Amino acid sequence: MSDNAKQKTMSRRDFFKGASIGVMGGVLGAMGLYSYSPMRKQMFPHVERKMADIGVCRKVKVTNISETSWFNNADLVGDIKGAGGLLVDQYSYNWPPFGDGSGLGKGSYEKGIAKIKHLLPDRLDEAWALQESMSVHPENAGGYAALIEVTDLDGKEHKYLLDSGWSYKWTDECFRREGIDRMLQNGEIEGLFISHEHFDHYWGLPVTVKYAPEIPLYIPEGFYPEGMQYIKDSGHKGPVTVVKPGLKPIVPGMASYVFAIPIICRVYGEQSLYFNVKDKGLVSVTGCCHQSIIQFAETAYREIKYENDRFHGIYGGLHISPFDDWDPKYDDLVISLGKYGFEKIGCNHCTGVLCAKKFIQAGYPVVQGTARFRSKDPAYLGNGDTIAFGMDV
Amino acid sequence: METHSVNYLEGRRLVKRWNGPVPAIVSLVLTLAVFYATWWIFQDPRGLMRMYTPYVGYMYTRWWLIVLIWMVYLFNYWPFKREWVERTHPVVKGVVLTAISVAVLLILIKGFFEGILGNFGLAYFNPERLTALPSVTNFFAIEYAALACLMFAAIASWLSPAWVVACEEVPWQDLPQPAKGISILVITFFLSTIVYFITMHSHMAILYHPWQEFTAITPPYWEKFANTVSGNFHVSWIMCCTVTVWLVETIWERFPFSMIERNWLRRLVAFFGIIAIAFAMHFFLYFVQELTWGEAIRGTRRAFAPDWRWLHVGEMAVFFLVPALFITFYCENWPRKYSLPANVLIRTTVTAVAAVLLYIFYYKTSHLFLGTQKGFSHPQQFPMIPTIWLINIWLVHHWFMDNWPAWKMAPKTTAEIEEDHAQALEKARSIRWTPSLGWGLGAGAAFGVLAYFVSVNVLPYFYNAIDIIK
Repeated sequence: MSDNAKQKTMSRRDFFKGASIGVMGGVLGAMGLYSYSPMRKQMFPHVERKMADIGVCRKVKVTNISETSWFNNADLVGDIKGAGGLLVDQYSYNWPPFGDGSGLGKGSYEKGIAKIKHLLPDRLDEAWALQESMSVHPENAGGYAALIEVTDLDGKEHKYLLDSGWSYKWTDECFRREGIDRMLQNGEIEGLFISHEHFDHYWGLPVTVKYAPEIPLYIPEGFYPEGMQYIKDSGHKGPVTVVKPGLKPIVPGMASYVFAIPIICRVYGEQSLYFNVKDKGLVSVTGCCHQSIIQFAETAYREIKYENDRFHGIYGGLHISPFDDWDPKYDDLVISLGKYGFEKIGCNHCTGVLCAKKFIQAGYPVVQGTARFRSKDPAYLGNGDTIAFGMDV
Repeated sequence: METHSVNYLEGRRLVKRWNGPVPAIVSLVLTLAVFYATWWIFQDPRGLMRMYTPYVGYMYTRWWLIVLIWMVYLFNYWPFKREWVERTHPVVKGVVLTAISVAVLLILIKGFFEGILGNFGLAYFNPERLTALPSVTNFFAIEYAALACLMFAAIASWLSPAWVVACEEVPWQDLPQPAKGISILVITFFLSTIVYFITMHSHMAILYHPWQEFTAITPPYWEKFANTVSGNFHVSWIMCCTVTVWLVETIWERFPFSMIERNWLRRLVAFFGIIAIAFAMHFFLYFVQELTWGEAIRGTRRAFAPDWRWLHVGEMAVFFLVPALFITFYCENWPRKYSLPANVLIRTTVTAVAAVLLYIFYYKTSHLFLGTQKGFSHPQQFPMIPTIWLINIWLVHHWFMDNWPAWKMAPKTTAEIEEDHAQALEKARSIRWTPSLGWGLGAGAAFGVLAYFVSVNVLPYFYNAIDIIK
């Protein structure tokens, strides 16, 4: 090889060495200098507001049938811990109504339902009595359910249930206390929305079915096979709508929105409700709001057209500290909620008493409750309490 | 030269029992089988011990990683003699050393953190003390204590290897064991404690109402910059530091820092260079999420919450560590035939592509066999646990068992060790300034910047096209 040729080869080798170093340096330099700089925001997609028209309603009233999903946090969380933690399949806990006597964390839907299926939906007292001897902490089961009354601009009233509780015994007692049993039997209630598949929102389904087996059922997409089977095993005979992620208008001024999100205890997907109240603005009603109330509000901003372009109210479990736990991200929520300008906040259930108190401390317009019927604290709306948007109660 | 003067890993030669990719495939199958069996026994929410709560399982996983690093990198298998480490059958060695690592792990967590620190210093390290407080259930008391403990682990798992890889054990490199190991352990534990207080203590202090203003800085100083009061902002960059240390040590062969000949300068630049690279990764992986899911919104939960996004940066970073370690442990750091920078670039590119594929595979399928939840942002979905659990098993297999059965260990001779040192030095010295290197550097840097901007522009379309979570 001549000297010139050798020199050329050497140069090429050096060039590639340098190029290799340069590529890595260039990539890392750009990553470090640009990726968190304000300039990066130019690359964010521009969010077009879809301004979907869901119509307008005159007013919305929510009656809290039951927000006490369980009565003792320590028992519930102790069971979750004993069964293996927050990721364990809820049907395996051996909680009622799927207890089979085999003990905590050893159950299954199939074994549990086999014990009571023949009693559903008409002999719920017997079914629950049976479960009291076979399941883990049956006395701790409560449930979440709310009655929603929407009045349209013509004055016509629509009634819906949001969720159907957990304990057959407790849910039935609460239904009778608030007259829900009669409304169901009379066909006054037009549909049952299940927010998500969690035990405390869904496992009391046979109580609703007992009074109205034909009631239209709306469930979010993402139910597991056990949850789908439970609809049939409960004796439900009406139409079932599996609501896909996104917006689904129901009646003028009311729409459902499903979020495709994973939730503890092996549950997937949550359905919440939007209302557009005349001259007031947007109202959000949720079961647990695992998607977070701010995400719910942001979604409304992107998707829906509403009165005065204003957020008016919230009602529901806001899923912040349901087990009296805390995390700095919850403080992020408490700090941030103020800028959304909600004028009426009704919270309970999985919001957590501590969070409700932090809201009050932050000066937010929290509607306080009466702490009756086993609800723990007047800082939030309790069992039997009501809240209304577009009217006074 | 006495071969025992170098550490065991440097003084051993692993010889393949079979040609081609067979040893790597056998090792992968074997370690994955052990991974799945142990995952079921210890972690799986459907399994026996169900430690994936998730923080309890995560705490043990992280601390086990550190104990393994201590035993090998800091203590060089002390108190076992070199002869025992060299001559004992890999399976026996694996069982004995793993048992010791678990014993150390339990003493550390139950004895030091819960027993001493939690009883005489900071209550939040001890679940029983937390349970005694109003409104704290036993479950969350355990989770909070585990969280504090694992946050400490995250820092230690960066600093412990960094002192060896970047600082080259100074000033104790010539001390015999256990003096060397103890010295490095003490300094890295001390530094970890300082970093813990600066980065994580405020996070723990605002878990309680009212915020513990008397004992911690609240709201924390990073709130405005990170758009959250959560310490996940720090978990993110510290996790990136851990990953970067191991990238530097494995597929980068301590490049580019090995090019610096002056010892003190190389060590200093390496230590802070790792942090700088980690921050580049930290910001980039956050930006990646903004590009695919949209801008984070403070106060939301899950995928849109800034605190989760920062945590997810750490989760994403660990996906890079898995292929990098596999290349080094089981592919003999392929390729090795080009110049050092070219080898490093190729390995890094392969690692990045493999990391993306692994990420997609994990989120598409893990809920089907690990007992985790479908979706990216479930609060109990911690890909760091299974990935680090797998890494721990690889470390046991590679460090304690000499890649048995697909490889066998043969001690290097003194001449071979000297030749290795000479080759490493030559590789580093071969990168010297020439005009050609300068042109290459400039062109490469321009291409690197271009590649970055092309990648971030293409990313949203790529993400939408693959639809990871259906």
